[in-house]
Amino acid sequence: MDKLIDDEMLVAQFQAGRQNAFDELMKRYKSKIFSYLLRSVRNYEDAEDITIEVFFKAYRALENWQPKAKFSTWLYKIASNLAIDYHRAKARNPVYALDDAEIPEKHLVATDMHSDPVKQLEEKERGLIIREAVDQLSPKQKAVFMLSRYEGLQLKEVAETLDMAEGTVKIHLHRAVKRLQTLLRPLWENNDI
Amino acid sequence: MPKCKKSEGQAIDYAYKLLPSAEELPFKEHLKSCKDCTEAVESYTAALELTDEAQEELVVPEHALRDIEMNVYKRLAASQEQTTWLSRLSAYFTSVGSPFGWYKTAAVSSVAIALIVAAVLISKPPQPEQTLQVTEMQSAEARIEAYREQGIQWNLEEALITHHLRNDAWETESQLNRMKEQAQGTSWTKVADKQLQNLQSGILNRTQQNRIGEN
Ligand SMILES: [Zn+2]
Repeated sequence: MDKLIDDEMLVAQFQAGRQNAFDELMKRYKSKIFSYLLRSVRNYEDAEDITIEVFFKAYRALENWQPKAKFSTWLYKIASNLAIDYHRAKARNPVYALDDAEIPEKHLVATDMHSDPVKQLEEKERGLIIREAVDQLSPKQKAVFMLSRYEGLQLKEVAETLDMAEGTVKIHLHRAVKRLQTLLRPLWENNDI
Repeated sequence: MPKCKKSEGQAIDYAYKLLPSAEELPFKEHLKSCKDCTEAVESYTAALELTDEAQEELVVPEHALRDIEMNVYKRLAASQEQTTWLSRLSAYFTSVGSPFGWYKTAAVSSVAIALIVAAVLISKPPQPEQTLQVTEMQSAEARIEAYREQGIQWNLEEALITHHLRNDAWETESQLNRMKEQAQGTSWTKVADKQLQNLQSGILNRTQQNRIGEN
């Protein structure tokens, strides 16, 4: 992968008619976008579908894209909007609710053949409880938390991605951390760690 | 007694490593004498560590990423087909505009739409302005083919790895069959057949050798 050619240059090449440039952009970002969406929607197939939708929308809009922000920020913006729509639809339609029980086990827990199966089960349950706690955040709190914590975006970039003021990002982030602390407190208070 | 004011915002920022460096040292000093903030920082840190751990378990496996590009192009081709069809329909509205002028405004009428659909399907009026879209579609299709071919090669590689490194003939066979199915209509099916043949004769040879060994 030639990282020397920056994303914005690839966009310019695509706009000039070089199709391969878009393939290169997909290659660079598909893993990041997929895992961001997997963390957000916690469902394997939905994360895949939305990833495809992100690049589909990007392809369609790229022709007129102006480099006001980084390409990656723009891509996360498309992904975040789709994830927020997804969570809203899910909230309206509880039947549609899915959890990561749908994700094949091997993707959830790093399998160590030699470790204790009881312990593995406990670990898996604990992981599930924690991910459910993250799920209880509002869609915006969740997006702010995920983008800043796991996608390595600066608060300023999160603000650009989610069309929010930086101060608002901070408020959402504080609420998210407080909520996680309240929800997860039993895990360490019962010495479950 | 009300809690220390710093035990929320500043403590969270400190645990999240967001505190500007100018505020970090004074806050560290404050922690030495403030129980509220010390407890708050500890519990925020614990919550964040737990969350990080649980998130780290969510990993996208390599094979799940393979088909993304191809599926994006499939999605593009499907939507372009749809728009081509729609623009053909709207172009037809324009081309038959004068004799059926009033129909245009009553386009919602299902009878009119059915008639037009039938007419479009039969007559296929020439649409020069669609050239660009068609080229785009062709390019999407060419890419789908290229990615399909790449997928076939990956599966073949995987089957060969299973065969040579893991020595699992049964799994190799099913991988080769899957690859052959995927390669329908291309010359790669011949490659699959050849590999399956080799595999069969390999198994046969080994069985014979075992028998000789037994005797
Ligand atoms: Zn304090």
